[in-house]
Amino acid sequence: MCGNRFGKKRRPEENAERMSYADFRLETVVETIPNPLRRIVRFAFEWIPIAIVAGLWELASGTAVSSEILPPPSAVFAVSWELLVSGRILPHLQVSLYRIGVGLGLSIVVGVALGVGMARVKPIENFFEVFLALIYPVPKAALVPLAILWLGVGTETAILIVFLACLLPIVLNSYNAAQNVDRNLLWSARMMGMPAWKLPIKVVVPATIPSILTGIRQAIPIAFIALVSAELIASNRGVGFEILRHGQIGNYTSMFAVLVVISGTAFVAVRGYEWLERRVVTWT
Amino acid sequence: MDVTRTVGLDRNDAIAAAKSIYSLVLLLLLWEFVAQYDMVHSYFLPPLSDVLATFYELTADGTMLEHAYLTFRRAMAGLLLACLLGIVVGVLAARNRIVGWFWDPIIEVGYPVPVIALVPVFMFWFGTGDLPKIMLVAVGCFWPVAINARNATREVDENLVWSARMMGTSDRRLLRRVVVPAAAPGIISGVQIALPIALIVTFVFEMVAGGGGLGHLEIQGVRSFESAQVYASLIAIMIVGFTLDRGLRYLRGRLLAWT
Amino acid sequence: MNRTQAHRQHPPNAKSTHETMVDGHVTITELEKVYESGDERTTAIEDFSVTVPSGEFLGVVGPSGCGKSTLLYLVAGFLEQTTGTIAVDGDPIDGPGTDRGVVFQDYALFPWRTVMGNVTYGLEEKGVGKEERRATAQRFIDMMDLDGFEDKYPKELSGGMKQRVALARTLAYDPKILLMDEPFGALDQPLRESLQDHLIDIWRDLEKTVIFITHDVEEAVYLSERVLIMTRHPGTKKTTVGIDLDRTQPREELVLSDEYTATKNDVWQSLREETTPGGER
Repeated sequence: MCGNRFGKKRRPEENAERMSYADFRLETVVETIPNPLRRIVRFAFEWIPIAIVAGLWELASGTAVSSEILPPPSAVFAVSWELLVSGRILPHLQVSLYRIGVGLGLSIVVGVALGVGMARVKPIENFFEVFLALIYPVPKAALVPLAILWLGVGTETAILIVFLACLLPIVLNSYNAAQNVDRNLLWSARMMGMPAWKLPIKVVVPATIPSILTGIRQAIPIAFIALVSAELIASNRGVGFEILRHGQIGNYTSMFAVLVVISGTAFVAVRGYEWLERRVVTWT
Repeated sequence: MDVTRTVGLDRNDAIAAAKSIYSLVLLLLLWEFVAQYDMVHSYFLPPLSDVLATFYELTADGTMLEHAYLTFRRAMAGLLLACLLGIVVGVLAARNRIVGWFWDPIIEVGYPVPVIALVPVFMFWFGTGDLPKIMLVAVGCFWPVAINARNATREVDENLVWSARMMGTSDRRLLRRVVVPAAAPGIISGVQIALPIALIVTFVFEMVAGGGGLGHLEIQGVRSFESAQVYASLIAIMIVGFTLDRGLRYLRGRLLAWT
Repeated sequence: MNRTQAHRQHPPNAKSTHETMVDGHVTITELEKVYESGDERTTAIEDFSVTVPSGEFLGVVGPSGCGKSTLLYLVAGFLEQTTGTIAVDGDPIDGPGTDRGVVFQDYALFPWRTVMGNVTYGLEEKGVGKEERRATAQRFIDMMDLDGFEDKYPKELSGGMKQRVALARTLAYDPKILLMDEPFGALDQPLRESLQDHLIDIWRDLEKTVIFITHDVEEAVYLSERVLIMTRHPGTKKTTVGIDLDRTQPREELVLSDEYTATKNDVWQSLREETTPGGER
């Protein structure tokens, strides 16, 4: 009826009203602070709980619990830093990242081909769907012993497990997306004279890319779980193995320190990927 | 990630069913053939018949059931614990300012930690029995349950809450009467995401630390060069995984008949 | 405020004695609502006063974004006003209460409850016993032509049926005042007309005060005893127009009558000044 201006304006107001109970950001206090400082104050306020937990941990360590069992976070982070700076963890990190990279890379190539193929070609679907249905409910880490039988203890086993674990999310995402490719898109491509055999590469895969990227995003944390599982059970290098080794020789502060390094790496991988995705895929 | 929808296991049509499993039958036949004629060393690939025989033996003498029970008990106890804590924390974090303020950053930091890497830590803290396994399963499952419960609760239509309040529901009863039922689909999705995590943690812990369970049985097969036992344990693991997945879906269907 | 013009022969029975009834009249005085988000302050409603006598059917029309819904949610007690008072039967309201029932445009039914479960909800909260609850609910389910659908879930119903369930749910716990937020806005024309007639019947039978928000002038004129026109941004009362129509005639004749057309045009004219750029304040 009347101008969009007001129709548009109403939304944020109502949202602010509705969300107020869920978002507690000390807005009223923050508003009295000059603009450049606000972000910092807000950030600090949001992270107070982490500081509380870390502080309690620091206090408990050495008093309530022996510092052997629960090393203080200050010591753990110091050792993590030392591991990185001295480069002692780097060979293991390198091996682990290599395993993740190859396993994930393979699963992307195979997974996209399989997903798109199953969605567009019935015989391919008939052939593979039963295998996917079979491995779906199996936790991929349970395949580590089988991988040991075939490939022994080491890098190949870890790569295989990462590959298998990441395959399903990528296949499922590209399968669903390729099946739902806008029919008008296919028709208009045909209309403009594209031969049928070119469709998968020229139209289906590009139209499926946002979903494939979603699949990869889901696969990254899974890759880390699979990697660490494989390295705990069947490896003598890598960060997962390092945790186990430090635990076995009673070097507990280092054990926690390696854990911090792994978590940090996983966190950076996920966030880095999301950042990259936003930078690269600007058209969605 | 709904496989049963995309992969038509429930199809009644016999022809379609035959079409969709012929590849599996072929592969199994090939397996038996290749192994029987020693084209692959039986350490890598024992004949399918041997694997099935071993599976039968282990099941008949009760070994398999005993180990399956241990695994099941650990995974379920941990998952249940995670659900109790995760749902309470998630729902309250979305509805209560202070709980939300406290938990939001902790969830932010805790969620990306690959919990499986804590296996050696929990071994060191709690030993190799049931306790460390159940605890670690609970820790691993807590995050997805809590995050999904929190997000589902945040997204509850405010009009539903208002409707209930105008009909006289007090703030205290609001959670039980409206918020939790309305968020239930998202909460249950969180539990479904947590289920494979519970199984992974249990199996890996059993493989690393022992103490019985299907993971232990499987890795024992590797260590004693009993390949058939590895494959037989995997069949059992598949059955456990499949049953739990289906059980949860069934429960979801029963609880959420209204969706 | 010219209240007498609101009178008319709408219900054929003795309904023209609003002043003698004490239940369910709403007094809004000097109402103001300012939204604040970050640095932005937006005045949604300003200097708004009106009295709705008990039993009146008041239509509220205005351009979109004029704060009609905000007004309704303030009266419902879902939002809190910045200044001013809203009183029901002389008592200032404090949050939502069972004396007021809202009917939402998007129904807001509880999807996990059946039709019966939705309609009995308010009675459960009142502590009514199970037998009585079901009997009362059944009465309203029948009234809304929903018999046979008691055990269906909302997802199994069409939009029109959902809105009838929502109406039954609100009527069942017997609020004195019905607050309706474009309840028929999402429905198609024939369905809408039949629900409008249904609503008039209910209003006559149950003697509720109704505040009915709509952006549809025809709907407002057809249903209301009095139409309140709001200005946009900030929303405030522009004027009220009394509707004096002979409701004894059937819909088809009524909408063709000269008096209907004339009244409609009055409201239109008044509203048009708000919606055309020239009328902007």
